Amino acid sequence: MFPELTLGPLVLPTGGLTYILGAWVVLSLIERLARALRLPAEQVYNLAALSLASGFVGARIVFVALHWSAYEDSLVNIVWPLTSGFDFWGGIVIGLAAGFFYGRAKQLPPAATLDALAPGLIVALMVVSLADFLAGPGYGVQSNVPWAISVFGIERHPVQLYELLVGAAALAAWWRWLPLRRFAGQLFLVSIAVYSGGRLFVDAYRANAWLTPNGYHIVQIVSLMVLLATVYLLGRETVATQDEARSPMAAP
Amino acid sequence: MLRSRFSWAVLLVGLALLGGAWIAVSQEPAATVMEADGLVEAPAAGYLAPAFTLTSTMGEQVALSDFRGQPVVLNFWATWCPPCRAEMPQFQQVSVRYRGQATILGIDQGEPQSLVTDFANSIGVTYPLLLDSDNAVSRQYDVNALPKTLFVDSDGVIREIYTGIINRAVLEDRIERLLAEDAAQE
Repeated sequence: MFPELTLGPLVLPTGGLTYILGAWVVLSLIERLARALRLPAEQVYNLAALSLASGFVGARIVFVALHWSAYEDSLVNIVWPLTSGFDFWGGIVIGLAAGFFYGRAKQLPPAATLDALAPGLIVALMVVSLADFLAGPGYGVQSNVPWAISVFGIERHPVQLYELLVGAAALAAWWRWLPLRRFAGQLFLVSIAVYSGGRLFVDAYRANAWLTPNGYHIVQIVSLMVLLATVYLLGRETVATQDEARSPMAAP
Repeated sequence: MLRSRFSWAVLLVGLALLGGAWIAVSQEPAATVMEADGLVEAPAAGYLAPAFTLTSTMGEQVALSDFRGQPVVLNFWATWCPPCRAEMPQFQQVSVRYRGQATILGIDQGEPQSLVTDFANSIGVTYPLLLDSDNAVSRQYDVNALPKTLFVDSDGVIREIYTGIINRAVLEDRIERLLAEDAAQE
């Protein structure tokens, strides 16, 4: 839709710009929310920043390792250009591992830290949707609803905007539950449940979705699994917290 | 407010049933997986690559449709563009490696044939170089900056677009993915 932003002689890719701005927003948000949840804000910020940086570097290292024959005779290509040549899943695994080990080393409480990280994670997913809307390959199924958008002459569901609305709903749920929080991890579970439920719903309107060989939407299947897992954990922890409160041993 | 284990279990089962039903309703016929016939032409990933016919530096008429059935890499470039010149030797290596399996087409923006031919000979490029003399194809593909590289699959659908220099590893990785998809469909 808007793959490039032209500023005089400069042509900047909107997708890349969105990711850079998104990373800044995510890190700033995480630091503020960690402070609101009375967590060590600097350490939670460092955890998120380390995960992002490790994910970026790790994605490159894995890509280079997998394509070493193309790099061994021109080593400068390992570090340049950096606009392409990343292994997505390698970056995810290394980024998560770096965050996990940093959190353990700093003895951050896992569930409470996840509460602080959840809005950042949701905003990161919203950034992916926004980048896809601006410059990505995604588009919605054909539609004549009043809010349909014209994509190269065809009216379509603005499916990435639906995803942004789902993200906004998940953030609202996080905010709504903040004063009602009964146990550490509740905000994370509530917001992820809302997000995954929303994605389960709106992915039906994506025209070029990832499909299983028999035509099921992979994002919907993953979303349903995440939704059920988060609701199960919410139920287990809620009941356990209530049982604990009712226990005669509980402090008055 | 959900207070008992039973109410949570009911909620869980209800969500599983509703979610499963919605997934079933959303199922698409297997034939629509990456179906290219219903797509329109547009210079964007996920759309059919706009059709064109250009004259090569060898004087032949070359159409994009000539290569339907195998992955095609379209590389927009010009001799005055340093990053374009820097990446061309790597495109040459890849074109040799995948000869017969995938095609690289270099599309020069608005330069005379003699200039393009002399430059290609000087760096040993042998893959087809097409002359977009009036920049009509560049406009079709919204080329606002050079180099710009598009990966087109065997069905003629643009799969990825890169503005800026890319290296041999990225080229090989993307071509291998498209070839693997073709192999999986056979």
